Amino acid sequence: MKIFKSIEIILDNNLNKAEQFVQSRPKVNFLFGALFEACDGLIRSTKDTAKTPPYIRSNMDVKQYMGGVLVALFFGWVVPAIYFYGFLCVVPKLIVSFAIGVFVVDVIWVVLAREERINEGGFVTCLFIPALLPPQAPLWLIGVGAAISILFRNILGGVGHNLVNPALLGRLLLTICFPAIVVTGWQEPFTEIPTVQSFIHGVDAVTRATPLIVYKEIGETASYFSLLFGSNTGSLGETCRIAIIIMGVWLCFKRIANWRIPVAYLGSVFIFSAVLSLLVGNTVAPPIFQLLSGGLIFAAFFMATDPVTTTYSQIGKWIFGIGCGLITVVIRSFTPIPEGIMYAILLMNLIGIPIQSLILKIKYR
Amino acid sequence: MVYKKGFDLIKAYPTEFSEEVVSVRYSGQTENFSFSFPEKKVEHIIINLCPTEPWALPHWAILKGNTINFLHKLEKVRSEYFPDSPCRIVVDRCEDELINDLIRYGKKKEWLHTFSMKPVYPYDAPVLIIKNVLGLETTFGENPIDHGILLLEPQTITGIYEHYMLKRETGVRLIPISGTGLHENRILKIKPGTPVETVLKKYIRTDIKYRVFFDGLLNGTEVEDLSQTVNWSVKNIVVMEERDYKTPFPYMKTKELGSTTSLMGELRRCVYCNYCDDICPVNLEPALYWHCYSRGEKQKARHYALDKCIECGLCSYICPSKLELLQVIRECKSGS
Repeated sequence: MKIFKSIEIILDNNLNKAEQFVQSRPKVNFLFGALFEACDGLIRSTKDTAKTPPYIRSNMDVKQYMGGVLVALFFGWVVPAIYFYGFLCVVPKLIVSFAIGVFVVDVIWVVLAREERINEGGFVTCLFIPALLPPQAPLWLIGVGAAISILFRNILGGVGHNLVNPALLGRLLLTICFPAIVVTGWQEPFTEIPTVQSFIHGVDAVTRATPLIVYKEIGETASYFSLLFGSNTGSLGETCRIAIIIMGVWLCFKRIANWRIPVAYLGSVFIFSAVLSLLVGNTVAPPIFQLLSGGLIFAAFFMATDPVTTTYSQIGKWIFGIGCGLITVVIRSFTPIPEGIMYAILLMNLIGIPIQSLILKIKYR
Repeated sequence: MVYKKGFDLIKAYPTEFSEEVVSVRYSGQTENFSFSFPEKKVEHIIINLCPTEPWALPHWAILKGNTINFLHKLEKVRSEYFPDSPCRIVVDRCEDELINDLIRYGKKKEWLHTFSMKPVYPYDAPVLIIKNVLGLETTFGENPIDHGILLLEPQTITGIYEHYMLKRETGVRLIPISGTGLHENRILKIKPGTPVETVLKKYIRTDIKYRVFFDGLLNGTEVEDLSQTVNWSVKNIVVMEERDYKTPFPYMKTKELGSTTSLMGELRRCVYCNYCDDICPVNLEPALYWHCYSRGEKQKARHYALDKCIECGLCSYICPSKLELLQVIRECKSGS
C-alpha cells in the first residue's frame, strides 16, 4: 500500500511537470497537447470543480460510459473470436484498426482541426470495424474501414453529433467499394478443445457460406445450438451469440445501453418474421432462425443502442427498434441481399431525426 | 445504484451526526425570531419530519426522544393560531416507533394525520410534498399559502411556541454542519446573526481547500464571504473539500472524490444517455433544454413544460457529460 502511494506521488509530480512543459511551449502544445491531455485523462481525474449548483456530481462520466461499451465488446466478441479463429486472426486486425483509426486519423484530425481533445469514442468505433467484417478480411480492408469511419465521425462532429453510426457507415462504404471482398471469406470456426497451436493460429481456413446465404440459396436452416454458441460461420464478431447476449444484458443493466432498443428490435424481428412466414411461406425464414442468424443480436445490443444516433425520447426508442426490425425482415426476405441489418440501422438512424421532432410536437402540444 | 424519478441521496452520501448538540458562543448582534403569520386562511398545514437530504437536520434532533412533548406544542400552536386547519405530519416510512407514537396521539384528535414517505430526494420539495400529501397541483416558485397551504418546519413550531406563546426569547436555531471539509459532523445551536466563520471555526479543516454552502449541495447557495451571517432561513451548512488539482487513478477513489466538489469527469456534449429524464422527479426531459440552449433558442425551451421544473438539480448531478443543466434551466426560465 505504501509503495503504491509513493509511486502515485512520483507519477503525479512527473505528470505535473510534463503538463507544465507542454503548456508553456505553444508549438509543443499545438502538436502534442491533445495527445497529452488524452493520455493524462486516462490516468488522472480532471481539475474542474462544480462552479454552479449542484456542487456534488455523480461519478459516472462519458469515459466510464464508453469504457463500459469497450469492456462489453471485448468480452462479447474479442474473447470468443480469439477462441474460434485464433489469436493471429483477431489481434492484428485490432491493432491495425486502432493504429490507423485512433492513432493516425484521430490524432491528425485533432492537430489539424484543433479539437480540444481526442475522444475515447474512437476506440469504440475502431473495435466495431473488425467485428463487422468476415474473418478472412485482409488487414488493409480493416485499415481503410477504420480510417473512413473515424474520418466521417470527426467530420460530423464526434461524440454527441453523430448522424449515423460511424462504424456502420464505414462498413457501408466498404461494401460499396469492395463488394467482393466484404461478402466472402466466411471461415469455419474452430470448435474443439483448444491447443496452443489452435489458440495462436486457429484452424485451416475452410470457407463456407453464412447460414443466411445458405437459407437464401437452398432454404436450409442451421442448427440453433451451433448458431447460439458460435460454431457456425459469420462475421468475426457476430458468431458467439451467447457471449453477446450476456454482455448486452450487462450493458442494459448498467444503463449504458437502453433496454428498450434491443427488446423492440429483437421482438419486432420475431413478430414480423413469424407473421410474414405464416402469410408468405418459405420466402421468409422462421423467426428463431432469424433471431439467431447474421449480426442481428450483435447489432441489437451494440450498434442500434448507440445513444447519439437513436432518438432522445423513450417512446422514440421503441419506434426506432420496431422500425429496425421491420426493415431487417423485409430486406432479408424480399431482396437479393442476405443480411439487412446495416441498412436497417443506418436508415433508422436517419429516420430517427424526424421521429424525434414529431414525438416532441405530439407530446408538448 | 438505482434511481428512478428521484434519487436516494441518504444512501449515496451517508452522513452521521454526533448526538451531542453544542451551542456556539457569540456575543455580537443577533436576530430575534419572527414569524409572519399568513393573512390568507390556512386550510392545510404540512409538517415535514422526513428530510430527504443527508445533510439536513435529522428529526431526532428536534424531537429529542420526546415526540409527545413536540405534539403538545404543535397542538397549542394550532389551537391558538390556526384553529380550523388540519395538520399533516410527514415521516419516514421506516421509522416505526415514531409512526406508532403519532398514530397513538392522533387517535383522539381528528385534526392530526400522519403521512409516511420514502426519504428519496427531492420528495420533500414543496411542489412534490403538496402533490403527494394533498394531491394538489402547485407550480414551482409559487408561495403555497396562495393555495391555503402552510408548510411548516418543525423548528418553526417550537419557535412560535416559545416566542409568541411563552414570550420567552431563546433565539437559537439548530443547524447541522457536515461535509468533508470538517473534522466532524455536528448539530449546533446557533444564534442567528452569527457569522459563518465563527460557527465553523472549531470544526473546519485547515489542511485542505474547502467551500461552504447553505441549504444543501444540490440546489443550495455558495457562501463566498465567510463573514456572512447565518439567518433564520438557513437550514444547514455543508463544507466540502475543493479538489482543484488532478488526482491520479480516480477510478479507484470514486468514493473519496465523490464527496468533494470535483466534477468527476470532463465536460462533453450531450450523449443522449437518458439519465436526466430517468432521474427527473417531475417527468421532464432536461436534455431538451440543453439542446435548445446550445442552439441559442432559449425561448423555445418553454415549449417543453419548463414551468414544471422544480429545480432540484438532479439532472446536473447525474449528467455523465457534466452539463450544467440546472444553470441552463434557470437561464431559460429567466430569458424569455
